[in-house]
Amino acid sequence: MIGIIDYGLGNLASVRNAFEHLGHEARLYAKPGEAVVCDRLVLPGVGSFHAGMLALEARGWAEALPDLVAENRPLLGICLGMQLLFDIGEENGPSRGLGLIPGMVVRLAPAEPHKVPHVGWNALPQMQRHPLLDGIRPHVDFYFVHSYHCIPASQDDAIAFCDFGGPFVAAAARGNIAGMQFHPEKSQPAGMRILENFVAWDGRC
Amino acid sequence: MLKKRVIPVLLLRDGRMVKGVEFQNYRDTGNPRTAVRIYSAQDADELVFLDIQATLESRSALVEIVREASTECFMPLAAGGGIKTIEDVRELLSAGADKVVVTTAAVTTPRLVTEIAERYGAQCVVAGIDFRTSAKGTKVWIRCGTEPTDIDPVAHAKQLVALGAGELFLNAIHRDGRMQGYELDMATRVASSVPVPVIVSGGAGHFMHLAELLRDTPASAAACASLFHFGDNNPIRARSYLRNLGIPMRVLK
Amino acid sequence: MSGTTYLRRCAQCLLPETYETIEYDEAGVCNVCRSSAYKRQGIDWDERKRLLDQLIEKHRGKADYDCIVPFSGGKDSTFQLYFLVREYKLKPLVVRFNHGFMRQGIQENNQRTFKKLGVDVLEFTPNWHVVKRLMLESFTRKTDFCWHCHTGIYSYPLRVALMYKVPLIFWGEPQAEITNYYDYLNDEIEYEDDKKFNMLRTLGITAEDMYGMVNTPENPIDRRDLIPYTFPDVKELRALRYCSVPLGSFIPWDYTKNTEIIKRELGWQTDELEGVPDEVNQHGEKIECFMQGTRDYIKFLKRGYSRVAQINAFHVRAGRMTPEEATRLNEQFDGRKPPSLEVFLEYVGLTEEEFKKIVGPMVIPPHVPDFENIRMAEKTWDFDQWYREDNRQKP
Repeated sequence: MIGIIDYGLGNLASVRNAFEHLGHEARLYAKPGEAVVCDRLVLPGVGSFHAGMLALEARGWAEALPDLVAENRPLLGICLGMQLLFDIGEENGPSRGLGLIPGMVVRLAPAEPHKVPHVGWNALPQMQRHPLLDGIRPHVDFYFVHSYHCIPASQDDAIAFCDFGGPFVAAAARGNIAGMQFHPEKSQPAGMRILENFVAWDGRC
Repeated sequence: MLKKRVIPVLLLRDGRMVKGVEFQNYRDTGNPRTAVRIYSAQDADELVFLDIQATLESRSALVEIVREASTECFMPLAAGGGIKTIEDVRELLSAGADKVVVTTAAVTTPRLVTEIAERYGAQCVVAGIDFRTSAKGTKVWIRCGTEPTDIDPVAHAKQLVALGAGELFLNAIHRDGRMQGYELDMATRVASSVPVPVIVSGGAGHFMHLAELLRDTPASAAACASLFHFGDNNPIRARSYLRNLGIPMRVLK
Repeated sequence: MSGTTYLRRCAQCLLPETYETIEYDEAGVCNVCRSSAYKRQGIDWDERKRLLDQLIEKHRGKADYDCIVPFSGGKDSTFQLYFLVREYKLKPLVVRFNHGFMRQGIQENNQRTFKKLGVDVLEFTPNWHVVKRLMLESFTRKTDFCWHCHTGIYSYPLRVALMYKVPLIFWGEPQAEITNYYDYLNDEIEYEDDKKFNMLRTLGITAEDMYGMVNTPENPIDRRDLIPYTFPDVKELRALRYCSVPLGSFIPWDYTKNTEIIKRELGWQTDELEGVPDEVNQHGEKIECFMQGTRDYIKFLKRGYSRVAQINAFHVRAGRMTPEEATRLNEQFDGRKPPSLEVFLEYVGLTEEEFKKIVGPMVIPPHVPDFENIRMAEKTWDFDQWYREDNRQKP
C-alpha cells in the first residue's frame, strides 16, 4: 500500500490518482498511526515551508516520520514535500524542517532574465545513476512550479540537476528517502515512469 | 533550460465550451469533458479553464469539470472566472486545480491576491489582466470585458506582483478571437516590467503568431483558444513547429 | 509550383516545414526519415514477431472470431487481412466502415479478396444526410471534411469488438510511417486506443463536441446520429481486455512489398489516383476514396505539398528515388486542382469563393497559397460513376 501523507497542503488527489492510474493502490493518511500498514510513503505539498512544517507538526507527522522511515520504508517528497525533508527552510525567516536529508532550502535566485517562480517544463540534463531515475532521458521535461530550491549538504545526495539560470538540485536521495522538486504526477509520460520506479524501489541506491 | 509553454484555454458557458470574438458572439466549441481528454492525449503543456458566466451554477459546473479533469488527466490545471473569496479558491484547489486565475477580484478586492499567496503560495495565484486599446488609450477592463477602469495595465501588473501574484495572465480583449496575432507591444512591456512569468492571451490564429510572441517578447507562455478550435492545429504540431524555429519547447520522450 | 520554394524542406525526403509534426535535425534531415532509418536498423523485428506469435496464440479460438480486422480495401488493409488469414490461418471478422466515397475498383478488389480468402464481412454505411452536415462542419472548423471518416473508421470496429466480444483487433500501418506523433525510436507498440483516437483521429472534435456544434434550433440533429463516430466506453473495452494494435508494430511495414504480395496472391489491382501520375503511385496509395483528390488539394493550399510529394517522400526514404528525381516530379505534378472538388462543393453546398474564404485563414505559415495560378488534374476513368448531389443554392 502506498501511503500519501495528508497534512492539509497540496494536491493530494492528483498524486493518488496517478498511482491508481498505474494500477497501484494508494490511500491518503491524515494520521501517522494508520500509515504503518504502508510499505512506502509519499509526501506531496504545495505552499510555504513554514506552513508545511506547522501542518506536519500539528498532525504528528513531524514526530512520526523519522520512525516510519527508519523501518526502511521508501519515502518520496514531491515539490514542497521534497523541501520539507531538509534541515532548514529560509522562507519567511528560517524554520526547521524534518531534517531527514542534511541541507537547506533557499529562494531561487537565477541569473537575469529568468523569472521566479520557476514555472513550466524543464529537464534533468545531469543525473546520477539511481533506481528512481531509471529509464529517464536527460532531455525529457518535467513540470516545475516553485520559488525555492534545495541545497543538500552532501553532494552525494543530489541525484539530478536542472538548469534554470544556473544548476539547482531537482532530485535528491539519501538511503530510502528521496525528493523531487518537479511534479511527476503532472509530467506525463516520464513522470509516470518515475512513479513506477518509486513503486519498485527497495529503498537502496 | 526552461521551455516556453503553449496553453489551451477552455471557456465555459452553460456546461459547454465556447469561443467568441472580443468576448461576444460565442460559438459552441464542444464538451469540456471530452476536450480535456483530447488535450490530455495531446499532452498539452497546461490547461486553463475560465468560467465566463460567474454564477453559482456555473461555478459548480467549473468545479465538477476540474474535478473530473484531475481524475483522468495528469497535467497542470488552472481555473478561474468569478473567483471572489478564499473559499472559492479552496474549492477549486481541492477539486484538483493547481492554480487559480483571479481577474476582476484582483481589481475590486486586491487583498484576495495576497490572501491566496499567503495561504497557498504565490505559484498558486495567477492574476489576470484583461485590457483593451481604444481611442482613450490602453486600460484594464473587468467583469469579463464589460466594465472599463482607469487602470494602466503595466502599473496594474506591477501592483499585482507586489500583492503576491506568482504569474500573470495578460489578455488583449480587442484581439480576442480575431486570429490576427497577439498584442506584442503590451506583452513586451508587461513581461519586461515584472519578475514573474507572464502568460499572454488574445489573438493567436496560426503558429507563426505563437512564434512571434515566444521568440520576440519576454512572454513565458502563449495561451490560445481559437487557434485550436478554428484551425487545423493541435498542441503537438505547435511544439514541433516552434522547435523548428529555434524556440525551446517541451520534450516528452 | 508557385509559392513553395521558400519552404524549408528535409534534406532527404523533401517534406516541408508545414508538414504536421515534422522537425529537422542539425543535418537538416527530418524526424520521420530518422525514425524510418531506425525502423530498419534499430528495431528487433524478430522479437516483435515473437510477440505477435504470442499475442495471436493467446487469442486464437477463444471467441467467435480470432480477431477483428478493420478494412477499407486499400493496399494496407488488404495486406493485413491476407497476412493474418494466410500466414496465421486466423478466422477474422472483417469490418468495414463505408465513408460514402468508395470507388468501383475497390469494390471489385474487395469482392475478389473476400472470396479468395474466405472471410466473414460486416459493413456499415452511416446516414448520408448526417454525413453531409458533418462534412461541412468539420471543413468549416478544420478545413478537413473527413471527420466522419476518421472517427468512424477508428471507432466502429471497436464497437463491433464489444458487440461480438472479440478482444483482438488488428490494424495495418503504424502512424510512425507517416508522422512523428509516434516515433520508431521510442521502440513501442502503437496501441490504437482511446488515447490515440483523441490525439489524432478526432481532429480535436469528439462526437459529443460535434453534437453540440451541429445541433441547432434551425437544424436539429438526433443525438443518436453521432453514435457511429463515438469511441466506445473505455471501461467496457478494458473489461473485454481489448488489444487494438497495428500489424506494422510487429512486422516491418513495406508498402511496395505489401502491394506486390496482394497483387500476386489476390489479384489486387491498383487504380488511377486523381492528381497523381501512375508512375509515382504504382503501389496503389489512397485509391479507395474518390474524395482523395480534394483532400490532397486542400492540403496543398494549406501546406504547400500534396500527395505526389508525400508518395515521393516514401520512395526517397526507401532508396527507390533520389531527392533530385523527387523534386522534378513534385514540381511537375504536385498540387493539381482536382475535378472532385466540384463534387465536394456540391455535396456541402459551397461556392468556390466560399471554399477559398474558409481555407485562406487556415493556411500554415510561412506557406502562401496561390489560389489562382493552378493547373488541373485529369479526371480518373471512373469520375462519371461517382455519386452527384448538388446542394448549392440555385440563383
